[in-house]
Amino acid sequence: MAEHILLRDLDVPDIKAFDVYVQHGGYEALRKAVGMTPAAVIDVVKASNLRGRGGAGFPTGVKWSFIPQSEPVKYVVVNADESEPGTFKDRQILEGNPHQLIEGAMIAAYAIQATAVYIYLRGEFWDIAANLDACIEDARKEGLIGPDVLGSGWSCEMYTHLGAGAYICGEESALLNSLQGLLGQPRVRPPFPAQKGGGLYYEATVVNNVETLTNVPWIITHGAEEYKKIGTPESPGPKIYCLSGHVAKPGNYELPLGITFRELIFEHAGGIPDGKQLKAILPSGASGPVLPATDAVLDTPLTYEAVAQIGSTLGSASIILMDETVNVAWAASKMMKFFAHESCGKCTPCREGTYWLRRRYEALLDGRAQARDIAILDDVASQMTGVTLCALGEFAVNPVRATIKHFRADYEAWIKQEAAEDKKAAKPAPAREKAAAR
Amino acid sequence: MTTTVTIHIDGVPYAVPDGMNLVDAARIYAGVEIPIFCYHPKMKPVGMCRMCLVDLGFEVRDRATGELALNPDGTPQVRWGRKLETGCTTTVRAGMYVRTRTEQVQEARRDVLEFLLSSHPLDCPVCDKGGECPLQNLTMRHGPGTSRMAYDDKLHLDKHVPLGDLIYLDRERCIQCARCVRFQDEVVGDDVLAFHERGRRLQIITTSTPGFDTYFSGNTTDICPVGALTTADFRFGARPWELTNVPSISPHGPVGENIALSMRLDRDSGGVQVIKRVIPRQNEDVNEIWISDKTRFGHHFTLSPDRLREALARKRGELTPVALDDALKAAAKALKEAGNSVGFIGGPMTSNEDFFALRELAAHVGSRKLGLWPATLGDAAPAAEVGIASGSRLTELGKGDAVLVVASDLEEEAPIWFLQAKQAADRGAALIVANLRETKLDRYASRTVRYGLGGAVGFLDGAASDETLAQAANLVVFVGNEGLGADEHGVLLRAAANLLITTGHAGRRNNGLIPVWPGANTQGGFDLGFESAATRAMLQSAPDVLIVVGADVAETPAGAAALDAAKFVIALSLFPDATTAKADVVLPIQSFAERDGTFTNAMRRVQRFYTAQGPVGESLPAWQVIGLLGQRLGMDRPRRSAALVMKALAESVKLYAGMSYPALAEAAVQTPPIGISPGFYGGTAAAPTGGTGLQWPSKAESRAKLSVTPVEAPQAVHAGAGELVIVPLRRLYDRAPEFFASAVMHGRIPQPFVALHPSDAARLGAVDGGRVKLSAGGASLDVTAVVDATAPEGLALLPQRLAPGAFPQEPVAGRVEPVAEAVAAD
Ligand SMILES: Cc1cc2nc3c(=O)[nH]c(=O)nc-3n(C[C@H](O)[C@H](O)[C@H](O)COP(=O)(O)O)c2cc1C
Ligand code: SF4
Ligand code: SF4
Ligand code: FES
Repeated sequence: MAEHILLRDLDVPDIKAFDVYVQHGGYEALRKAVGMTPAAVIDVVKASNLRGRGGAGFPTGVKWSFIPQSEPVKYVVVNADESEPGTFKDRQILEGNPHQLIEGAMIAAYAIQATAVYIYLRGEFWDIAANLDACIEDARKEGLIGPDVLGSGWSCEMYTHLGAGAYICGEESALLNSLQGLLGQPRVRPPFPAQKGGGLYYEATVVNNVETLTNVPWIITHGAEEYKKIGTPESPGPKIYCLSGHVAKPGNYELPLGITFRELIFEHAGGIPDGKQLKAILPSGASGPVLPATDAVLDTPLTYEAVAQIGSTLGSASIILMDETVNVAWAASKMMKFFAHESCGKCTPCREGTYWLRRRYEALLDGRAQARDIAILDDVASQMTGVTLCALGEFAVNPVRATIKHFRADYEAWIKQEAAEDKKAAKPAPAREKAAAR
Repeated sequence: MTTTVTIHIDGVPYAVPDGMNLVDAARIYAGVEIPIFCYHPKMKPVGMCRMCLVDLGFEVRDRATGELALNPDGTPQVRWGRKLETGCTTTVRAGMYVRTRTEQVQEARRDVLEFLLSSHPLDCPVCDKGGECPLQNLTMRHGPGTSRMAYDDKLHLDKHVPLGDLIYLDRERCIQCARCVRFQDEVVGDDVLAFHERGRRLQIITTSTPGFDTYFSGNTTDICPVGALTTADFRFGARPWELTNVPSISPHGPVGENIALSMRLDRDSGGVQVIKRVIPRQNEDVNEIWISDKTRFGHHFTLSPDRLREALARKRGELTPVALDDALKAAAKALKEAGNSVGFIGGPMTSNEDFFALRELAAHVGSRKLGLWPATLGDAAPAAEVGIASGSRLTELGKGDAVLVVASDLEEEAPIWFLQAKQAADRGAALIVANLRETKLDRYASRTVRYGLGGAVGFLDGAASDETLAQAANLVVFVGNEGLGADEHGVLLRAAANLLITTGHAGRRNNGLIPVWPGANTQGGFDLGFESAATRAMLQSAPDVLIVVGADVAETPAGAAALDAAKFVIALSLFPDATTAKADVVLPIQSFAERDGTFTNAMRRVQRFYTAQGPVGESLPAWQVIGLLGQRLGMDRPRRSAALVMKALAESVKLYAGMSYPALAEAAVQTPPIGISPGFYGGTAAAPTGGTGLQWPSKAESRAKLSVTPVEAPQAVHAGAGELVIVPLRRLYDRAPEFFASAVMHGRIPQPFVALHPSDAARLGAVDGGRVKLSAGGASLDVTAVVDATAPEGLALLPQRLAPGAFPQEPVAGRVEPVAEAVAAD
């Protein structure tokens, strides 16, 4: 794409400033939206088949249409918790193109006739929040936020709120609790956030990711048909891919959904440095199952369906690459440490399972593990599958099960090392030192 | 009305109420136990432990026709879920299919148990819960026999964490079910417990100072599904299988909490049966499964070393131990000389049997002076007319209903009713709290009403025009006597009756008046013809002989004077006190734990308590002592058992007709069944064994024609120049020997104090924390001043039974003077 739809700061350096944003067509979409009926706005977004960029890929227009119009109090909550390892796309939007998010959030709010928008940011984004507050103030001065938005008779406030540093608070129901000042633990569903009783302060609420909402102004301006020309029919639109790890040019890439891993990694991001071989791909940070870098995988298009078909998830497209020097079992231990640290502890399988798995990985890396520990890791993870209260518990098993499935040899290397030491035989150490030195 | 739907559990169809929790429906209607840890029927489900996973499906219907899709064999098609679902967060609806025994479900249970036990300390052999522990029980039933958790991987945490001075937490045993947190939040409203940290470090902390500050903390140790929470009182005290649970009734307060006394032969107590702990006994009509900390920990008086062990009689002016016979002889002699100039005063823990024995003796000597202690109460006629209808349940009040609380600090006077009123408000009932000062229940009130001294009657008299009250589907009125003179209390009760009659609520189930009496058997005293007014008359002009049973009459100046004025005082008492000190004969009596008996709670429910431990010294049940006295006056010899006394009582007192011990021992079915013997929901509440009691119907229930009696408020007390009105308050924790004997509670019992409004304090020169002298009616007390903005101006709020010394128990004009502090030299 010559011109960016989301990361417009790359085309217009100062677009973060209100005036510059307006000069470049900013807030025209909101103007257009408030001239339509709320239902018509939802219909356009539905027709565009925009899917949630927070990870689950749920159709945004459908989500909005769940909100019961009869409820007097409704909210839009913007999920800016961006905590997935390897994800840094929302940050660039918030820093570089904040007004487009604000505009998208206001259009969402209009579509469901919300009374307020809350932007929940991860605690480390305090400087971003301060800037966002200033942006909101600018927009409010122009009558774009607040009482009687653009003379439409509809009023809506917008607030920012900082979290306190927990991955689980990106999960929407835990986020709502945290926003309400409660312990950041997920809620039992139903009721879902869109239902009375399930949302913010138990009112019907739409929760959307930053990137999702940043798509919305463009869709309103250009229409659903234009939007669907980008990407694939099931996964339309642009996507910001976050590339990190062993890649020549890490960073954010705004490209259509549906390009292949190979195009993304080798054509756009400069391939793997130092002439090394790509070994493994984490397509969705720590949460999605790892993929071996086979040709079949590399030629898979980056869409929600295609990545699911090869046994992983596109998630928020936080793509972490590992070259041949990485022992994937070691990488799995890092991810497990993350999940054990971030499990909220509310439900038994995730609380106990992540702790147990972390301890076994420590044993593995300390050379205390035996062959049967691979089976125990796999068993414990499978025991957590499908029975947890929220998706974090489901995510947490992926680093274990997928890495054992695809890279069992890396596990065995750790265990053999122990056997080797026992025999005092000099054998090349597995990837531990090299990996650890990274 | 709820409709009934058909669901299938393990292939069998059951008719269950639509929308009921699946775990409850399965347990109650199908007898199927879906195992649980975090779920508790008294609290909202949270889906945390994942123990209750079941396979959930729905019958398939054709979209167009709505007809059931059938399998080739004619059975309905069922679409089963992709994953297992938590039963506790599922509500039943038509067409639901549940499988609880599939391999997948059993595996899920095994897995959850393996997880829960992975870092569990497995110190069952020294754990208080061992033997009645849901984690043990469910592991035996559903768990894996072994664990694959490497021993060294176990997480170790603090095992001795005092959350306060009453409750200890063992962090290793905690399974993070949040029952304790939710109990404090949802049931009590004191959110003093919370989770701290996250993941495997998630742990219970207290957020209050002092720690775990609430009147209900002990209940968390009952509902904790493991031994993570233990009481300072019972911790390491006994193993559950050594304990025999004896049904009983709380001797503290008007609620009549059903309890069980867990008894054991105890080496440390000389090899006799002693109470090791007090636990709630399920009675959904009374206390559900909750008890106050006063009831739980306030049992130590029964074995206090201060108890009276032998009879005393005056010899050369000195009270001297004598043989029981000699004491009775002296007492009988005085009675014979007095003719019918004999007065009787029964106190708050006096049982129905005791009152009946007194009444028989009174009849024998020809006296009608039947008095009730305290002397500050109105009469019970309004409650007999429109008292809360039989079979009413405060737990059923909710949206559309109204609860009115007048002149009572419900949390201090009747903690369980506080919980129930609060929860009624949570369910949507209008809660109106009227008092002359702020009380804790105000937090949950939809409206609070503040009146001045003497204003209670005026408020209640006008309340019938209040739409909320008049139009409430159900109306319950609690009436206390805070800030009221005795006459005013009587008028206020009458005004409450008028309200219930005028608004048409009287006589209907879940409607009526609940007098917040001070004692466990104040109602029974009234029922047997004892009156607080009669006591007041005796204080005015003392009879020749006064027989005082379990009442510290000398705690008021008028009472003390009457004891002095009487020629001869016979005191039946548990403890030596200011009253026994003035007596001529002192006879030791047994506490509720040592004898059989009945108390009638303020909702007119007559409830049995049973003999749990042996007598202290030569003490006898009061009814027997009175009977022996009567025998010496020519009456028949005393009946041989409490059961026979009750039989005679039921024959002669119409309200109690049919209330024989066997009838009172019948237990109503409890739904859901939470008590220990059904054992399903986990926790140490006892089953209703021993009986759930019988209620006598109020007059209104018999559709008797009721009429409104116009009321007029009596003149309120006025403070003269330089005076305040000193208003006595009832506080839950006081220094009466029946409570103060529990040393474990001392940290929670305040020093004697009086609460003053800041402007009064400033005017009088009293400082917060400084000492002041209160004087009124010839009595004085030395207490600490607490400057409290919630105290109404012009009033000095004086909690009773904290300071030693007699003091009036009705509002009285008096002086409050700072005491010059001695300069700290030593
Ligand atoms: C453990 C966990 C963490 C999550 N973290 C985030 C996050 O940081 N940002 C985000 O937008 N969504 C996150 N989600 C997804 C949200 O729950 C939710 O699906 C999303 O905000 C919906 O917005 P969308 O429909 O626009 O994608 C997370 C989900 C889980 C289970
Ligand atoms: S799965 Fe993990 S993060 Fe989610 S509720 Fe359970 S313990 Fe918390
Ligand atoms: S202390 Fe007991 S009741 Fe509280 S969370 Fe732990 S296990 Fe549950
Ligand atoms: S999750 Fe249902 S009982 Fe705990």
